Amino acid sequence: MIELVNVRKVFNAGQPNEFVAIDGVSLVIDAERTTVFRGPSGSGKTTLLSLIGCMARPTSGRIRLYDREITSLPERFLTGIRQKTFGFIFQQCNLIKGITALENVMLPAYPSGEKHASLKNRAMDLLDTFKILRKAQSKVEWLSGGEAQRVAIARALINNPSMIIADEPTANLDTKLSREFMEIMGRLKSERKTILFASHDPIVYESDLADLVVDLRDGRVEGSVP
Amino acid sequence: MIFHPAIIGLFLSSILIGFMVLYCAFYGIRIIRRWDILSGSELQLSLERRTYLISTFLSYIFGFQLLSLFLFIFTADQLHPFFVGAMCAAGSLYANSYGYPVLLLKILNFFMAGLWLILNHADNQASDYPLIRKKYIFLLVLAPFILAEAVLQAGYFIQLNPSIITSCCGTLFSAEGAGISSDIGALPGPVMKTIFFGSMTTTLATGVYYYLRGKGAWFFAGLSALNCIVCLFSILSFISLYIYELPTHHCPFCILQKEYGYIGYPLYLALFAGSILGVGVGALMPFRNIRSLSETIPATQKRMAQAAVVLLIVFAMIVAWKLIATDFILDVGH
Repeated sequence: MIELVNVRKVFNAGQPNEFVAIDGVSLVIDAERTTVFRGPSGSGKTTLLSLIGCMARPTSGRIRLYDREITSLPERFLTGIRQKTFGFIFQQCNLIKGITALENVMLPAYPSGEKHASLKNRAMDLLDTFKILRKAQSKVEWLSGGEAQRVAIARALINNPSMIIADEPTANLDTKLSREFMEIMGRLKSERKTILFASHDPIVYESDLADLVVDLRDGRVEGSVP
Repeated sequence: MIFHPAIIGLFLSSILIGFMVLYCAFYGIRIIRRWDILSGSELQLSLERRTYLISTFLSYIFGFQLLSLFLFIFTADQLHPFFVGAMCAAGSLYANSYGYPVLLLKILNFFMAGLWLILNHADNQASDYPLIRKKYIFLLVLAPFILAEAVLQAGYFIQLNPSIITSCCGTLFSAEGAGISSDIGALPGPVMKTIFFGSMTTTLATGVYYYLRGKGAWFFAGLSALNCIVCLFSILSFISLYIYELPTHHCPFCILQKEYGYIGYPLYLALFAGSILGVGVGALMPFRNIRSLSETIPATQKRMAQAAVVLLIVFAMIVAWKLIATDFILDVGH
């Protein structure tokens, strides 16, 4: 379970260009469920996912993850939580160019110290699961949008996280690929993963997958639809 | 003031250290007064970010503080040709009234900074900042000493004048002279040898016992502190005599010179580092029962005890080597 208590995030605080991205959000997100944050551009969806995923710290307020308060944790503890708990999927995929799809998938697990052969086998299995094994040795810049997205999903899963955070994952995909992506997310949900989306794509928030849709505007929760 | 690269380095670094300690102490006061881990207020979250920065700053600052003791002694040794009468750092430090107070303050700060680093390391092992107030209160205690050291060291360097005629170590540490150093030098060698080996053996035995059984931490810490004093007295009393192979030369500084293979540096480094780690084992004892530290502190203490024992063995072996591998025989009646 994730609990947000009066979370606020201000960029450039005290400066003329001060911007309140998240303004007093309190929310409870159940584990093993799929939650979609919906809202227009600039509504704070990405910022909220960054805060939940321990990639940024709030200006005030607290976030609890499985009853553990995470906002006060020093960075060295957050690294472990990020690595073990969250798998991130981004709008632009953020794959590292110049290295192969397989190496991209393996990369987040390197700090774990797992033996290379075992890690490689797991990465190959994931690429096989997403039907992209034949592209394992291809450099990522040679992949199509759909292939790159599947590599990104495999990378997000390499550390076997309990939560998947996907920020506008279908924004660069056509309808067919978007539906394929949602099918993959459905499989992950059936594996009892907690899934958090930020999206304003109806394919995502109108999907049967979504257990809770939270509407955001100007950094505030406007309402939620179960 | 003499414009020597090491003096400029020490002078500027002490200003930097003093400024940084003041900055950190300022935030330390805010943390001591306003810290509330249960609060999600903007102030609390900013203090949480700030303490991460400050403890990183202080780790480097105090790391340099430890090194600066040896750099200071090295500098004082390098300066002795400038002063008439000086033969080593002993004479350079005697060139004005600030020299020895700075040295004593540096040794004290060496120990306190070392203990702060141990406390900070222990605090960093837990995610809930269990020692945060304690380590910043300790910082507030330490800060005036660091600043005093910076001021006195500046006074020492500024008032150094090559025209000064100073005393040589033969006079300052003569067993026949007056003063504490001479009194220590005059301690009977055979008695001091017995005390030294007795103290070292007991300290090492308690350290090994603590490492193996996890018991007797306070005893080991107390003995480490006592043993450090005994070892310093022993250097003045008889160890120096064996290194110089002279029955009357008790100087604790000449052993830092090239003629004696710079043997003083590993000797003092092993002694001081080993003693700090030994004392640190006891310093962490009150915090073993804190829930978030109950697993990490015993493991840290064990590693520290192990390192302390190794370092003290290094010290004892250097001394034993000097005592054995020499033709010099100390007069029993000395």
